Amino acid sequence: MLKITDLHVAVDGGSKPVLKGLTLEVKPGEVHAIMGPNGSGKSTLSYVLAGRDGYAVTGGSVRFQDADLLELEPEERAAAGIFLAMQYPVEIPGVANNYFLRQSLNALRRARGEPEVSAAEFIKKLKAVAERVGVDPELLKRDVNAGFSGGEKKRNEILQMVMLEPKLCVLDETDSGLDIDALKTVADGVNSLRSPDRGMIVITHYQRLLDYIVPDFVHILADGRIRKTGGKELALALEEQGYEHLLGEAA
Amino acid sequence: MNAPARAIRSRYVAPIPAFADAFTAARSSLPGKEAPAIQDWRQLHFDRFLETGLPTPRVEQWKYTNIARAANVPMALATRPNVGLGDVQRYFTGGPLARRLIFVNGHLASELSHVRGLPQGVRVESLGKLLQDEPEWSARALGGPAEPHSFADLNAAFLQSGAWIELGDGAVLEHPLQLLFLTVGQPAAVMAHPRIVVRLGKEARLHLIETHIGLAPGHCLTNLVGHYELGEKARLTHDRLQLGSAGTSFVGLNRQRLAERAELKQTLATLGGALVRNETDLHLVGSFVEAQLNGVYMPIGEEHVDNVIRIHHEAPDGHSDQFYKGVMDDRAHAAFAGKIIVHQDAQRTNAFQRNDNLLLSDDAEISSKPELEIYADDVKCSHGATCGELDRTALFYLRSRGLDRAQAESILTFAFAAEVIERFVDPAVRKLARECLVARTPGGAGLSDLL
Repeated sequence: MLKITDLHVAVDGGSKPVLKGLTLEVKPGEVHAIMGPNGSGKSTLSYVLAGRDGYAVTGGSVRFQDADLLELEPEERAAAGIFLAMQYPVEIPGVANNYFLRQSLNALRRARGEPEVSAAEFIKKLKAVAERVGVDPELLKRDVNAGFSGGEKKRNEILQMVMLEPKLCVLDETDSGLDIDALKTVADGVNSLRSPDRGMIVITHYQRLLDYIVPDFVHILADGRIRKTGGKELALALEEQGYEHLLGEAA
Repeated sequence: MNAPARAIRSRYVAPIPAFADAFTAARSSLPGKEAPAIQDWRQLHFDRFLETGLPTPRVEQWKYTNIARAANVPMALATRPNVGLGDVQRYFTGGPLARRLIFVNGHLASELSHVRGLPQGVRVESLGKLLQDEPEWSARALGGPAEPHSFADLNAAFLQSGAWIELGDGAVLEHPLQLLFLTVGQPAAVMAHPRIVVRLGKEARLHLIETHIGLAPGHCLTNLVGHYELGEKARLTHDRLQLGSAGTSFVGLNRQRLAERAELKQTLATLGGALVRNETDLHLVGSFVEAQLNGVYMPIGEEHVDNVIRIHHEAPDGHSDQFYKGVMDDRAHAAFAGKIIVHQDAQRTNAFQRNDNLLLSDDAEISSKPELEIYADDVKCSHGATCGELDRTALFYLRSRGLDRAQAESILTFAFAAEVIERFVDPAVRKLARECLVARTPGGAGLSDLL
C-alpha cells in the first residue's frame, strides 16, 4: 500500500539533507517499527508522509495505493487514508475536542463521497472509543488539547486515529511521556485497529512500546537511510547492544 | 493666551460652534435643569471642554485615532427612538434572575428595565433620575472636574442618563446586573452621553455586564464615562461586550480605583462599530490588588478600534495582567497602547501585558505600543506584542485531520479570538460574543456547529 523508493529529503530551504535514500514498503496488514538515534530522520519521515511543508523532496518517490503521495495536499492524504499521530499535538483553544473530531470525520467522509455522520451516531461512537483508549469523557468537551497533560494529548491522538479509521497509521513517538499504564491503554487502542487491510508505521526510541504493539518488521534508521531490517527480535538486540554496536556490524 | 496654552492649542482643535448650540438647546431639557447645582456643574465642564478642544493625533493618547476629524461635526443630542421588548430580548444576559437597566440612545427605557427587589445594601439607580430628584447630592457625588479630558468633560455637560450602582460593606449581588445600551443609528449625526458609577464597599461583590448593541445602522456617537471605586477586598467581575452597528461610534473612558486586596476581572470584546475607542485608567491604590484586563477586537471593513490602557501601580504587592488579542480584516485598523506605571512605593509589583494580533488582509493595520515606566526596584514586569499570520503548525495539524485549508484557517482564526471570549464569566455573554465572532470570521458559515 505504501512504497517509498530512494527518498531524499532536505530541510532549511533544501540546504540540509535529512533523508538520504530511504526505501521502505508497507503492505496491508503489516506493522513496521522504525527506530533510530536522534536526528536520524524519523520525524522527518512522518512529516513527509503527512505532507507538512518545509520539507523539500530532492529525490525518490512515495506511492500510496497507486497514487503519487507527494503530489497531494495534507487533507488529500488524510482523505486517502493516512493518519499521523503526532509527537507534539497542537493545542486549539476555543474549539471543543468533540466538535473538531466530528468536523474532521465529516470532512474525510465528504472527500470520499460518503454521507456525513449524524450527531447521535457520532456521539455514540465517540463515547465507546473514548472508553477504549482511556480518554476521560470530560476531555471530549474541553478545547482540543488545551491544558491536556502530555499523556492526555497522546491518548487524544489515538482517539482521533481510532475514530477516523485510517488505512495507514503513522505513530511518531507516541510512547514518549507515557507511564506504563497509559502505554498499555494506548497500545490496546492501536492494536484494536490492526487488521489485514491496514498498515502501520510505529516510530519510537524505545523497545518498550514494541512489547505491546508487536511489529512484523523492525527497521533501524540512521543518517537518513534504513541501515538494518529484521523482525521484532531486532528491537531487543538494539535494546541490549545499542545503535553503535549494531550499526557497526551492519557497516 | 500664554505660551503653554498655545502649545496645547496646537495639538487640539477648537470645537465647532455646533457644540455650543447643542448645549444651549439641551440644557433646558436635561435632567436637573431646574437645579443651579447641576446647571453650574454642567457649565463648568462645558467651558473646560471648549477651552481644551478636541484632541488631534498629535496628542500622544490619541495618536492612532483622529477623533477631531470624526467627532468635530454637528451632532444633536440623540432623542429616544421606539424600541420594544421584542427588539432587545435576545441581548438579555446574566440569566433569568439578572437585574437590568436598559438605555436607548442614551435614554433610560424604564419600562424595559428591571432592578426591583435588590438585597440589603445594594443600590441601583437611574442617574438621570438622581440628577433630577437629588440635584445637590448628585452634583457633590459626581464630583468636580478631575484633570481635563475632552470627552469626560463633554459627557458631564450633556449627561442625561446612566447607572448609579452602590454596594455597601459586605453587600453581595448574587446574580449579574446588566447595563444594556442600545444604539439605533440615525440618518443625521447624533450623540449620547451616558455614565456609569460603581462604588463597592469593603468585601462587596458585583458581577456587572455591560453590553453595547447597535440595533440599526446609521450615525450615533456614544460617549461613555465610567467611574469605579472598589473598596478593600471588594470584587468586581465586569463583562463588556460591544456590538456596534454600521456607522455607530463609541468613545469610552473608564477610571477605576482599587483599594487593598480588591479584585477586578474585566473582559471586553469589541465586535462592531465604525469607530470604537476604549480608554482605561486603572489605579491600584491599595496593596495586594489583583487586576485582570482581557480584551479582544475584531474589526472588519473600514472599522477602527483603539484601546488605550494606563495601569498605575501605586501600592506594593499589586498584580495586574493585560491580555489583549486582535484580528483585523479588510481595511480595518486597530490600535493597542498599554502603559504600566510602577510607582516608587509599589515594590513587589507583578505586571504583565500581552497583545497578540492577527492580520487577515494586506490592507488591514495594527499599531501596538507597549510601555513600561518603573520607579520601584523590586518588580516583575513584562510585555509582549506579536503580529502575524496563523500558526503554520496548527494549520498543518488541522489539515492532516482532513480539513481543507479554508476550513482550517476559519477554525484557527475563530480559536485565536475565542481564547479571550472564553474568559467572559457570564455564559450568555459568551454565547452572544461567539455568534458575532463566527459572523466575522472568514468562512464562518461553516462554523455554525461551534455555537
